[in-house]
Amino acid sequence: MNYIEYLTIALPKLADGLLISFRVTFVSLGIGMLIGIPAAFARVYGPKWMKNIVVVFIEVIRGTPVLVQLFLVYYGLPQFGVTFSAYTSAYIALGLNSGAYQTEYFRGAIQAISSGQMMAARSIGMTRLQAIRHVILPQAIRLVIPAWSNEVVSMIKISSILYLVAVPEMMTVAKELYAKYFNPFQTYITVGIVYLIIVGIITFLLGKVEKRLKIPGMELDNRSA
Amino acid sequence: MAPKKNIIVKIDNLHKSYGAEEVLKGVSLDIYEGEVVILVGPSGTGKSTLLRCVNQLTTPDSGHVWVQDVELTDPNTNIDTARQHIGMVFQSFNLFNHLTALDNVMLGLLHVLKQDKEAAREKAMMELDRVGLANKYMNYPGQLSGGQKQRVAIARSLAMEPVVMLFDEPTSALDPELIGEVLEVMKTLALEGMTMLCVTHEIGFARDVSHRIVFMEHGDIVEQGPPKKILNNPDLPRTKQFLGKISSLH
Repeated sequence: MNYIEYLTIALPKLADGLLISFRVTFVSLGIGMLIGIPAAFARVYGPKWMKNIVVVFIEVIRGTPVLVQLFLVYYGLPQFGVTFSAYTSAYIALGLNSGAYQTEYFRGAIQAISSGQMMAARSIGMTRLQAIRHVILPQAIRLVIPAWSNEVVSMIKISSILYLVAVPEMMTVAKELYAKYFNPFQTYITVGIVYLIIVGIITFLLGKVEKRLKIPGMELDNRSA
Repeated sequence: MAPKKNIIVKIDNLHKSYGAEEVLKGVSLDIYEGEVVILVGPSGTGKSTLLRCVNQLTTPDSGHVWVQDVELTDPNTNIDTARQHIGMVFQSFNLFNHLTALDNVMLGLLHVLKQDKEAAREKAMMELDRVGLANKYMNYPGQLSGGQKQRVAIARSLAMEPVVMLFDEPTSALDPELIGEVLEVMKTLALEGMTMLCVTHEIGFARDVSHRIVFMEHGDIVEQGPPKKILNNPDLPRTKQFLGKISSLH
């Protein structure tokens, strides 16, 4: 069987796996954002105890391998009678993981906004929450896109570890394929190329979004010097 | 227009320290309705801090501030409600960068005063027209000159129908040729009877427009009086020396 023939068999199967990779990636990114945005605001504007909780959360997540986090949820928790399916474990572990990183990305974006923006908003009688919602957040989202693109790309690649808890994502499919056809090189080169293409498309699309949301008159031009 | 008899802003014995440094050492000041008061003094003497203590963007350590008989330093006062009618204009404009000039002026009307979109839009256009920028309503801050930004910032404050306007060095960040257009707007406001407290080094503006010049140094008011008296014949040599120095720059 030549490579082309192999592809006609492998690609549809890999596509099924890819859809599952996507699903896990985007659910985790979504959970991560739901954690990341409030946590970032808590870290910047919250009382001291809140900041401390956020810092501990970030440091624990960033300081441990995502695989350890995943295994703790999937294999570790059942020991205490808390059992999650492979998918749910994936969402919890990857969602928390992404949440920590997104907190840092959003924090960076919020802190890049001049403190005068918050002051001006408060000076016209806005509550702190209103100022965050109408003034700070819309600007932070624009500023966060470049860093956030990294998170998307990294999440897609991280989703490959889910073959270790038998989620049938692309790497799991790949393993089944080469077990059947004994061609690990062709299989993993194919998987690698698929990841590469997907990451390329996502980077391109997010670049478009960034351009689309750019605030007129605030282009970062003349940076060549 | 001469100021009226009723007090709009009452500042009583304000103290504020940053660490070991005492920035305000018991400042008291009354501002009457329709009065234009200029705060001058060397940098680092607490002028901006005093201004920010009025609307509580900076919380004083002790002392009291009333604006129209509402005590802002009372912890039971809803500070957000109180601030709605205290306009503030910043040295660095602080326009909301992601919004057009129109949306900048509308934001408070929509979300603070809860006006409907039509009414807010109409009011905002009126205020932009008042500062001579109705034709720039679709421009983002990044597409405006410094002078235009500051005029939009003034319109944003005016839209809230303030009882007093606080100006924190409104022309200090501007190129010299853009200062005039901002001062012109401020002058018109003063003539319309707006109560104003301005930190500025624009001596010409102080001479022509203000009712009172307050000279601050080392966290306290050292001399105050009508502009003619303070500019031409101050009691303290220190006042004379300082004003002489900044006058020679203008």
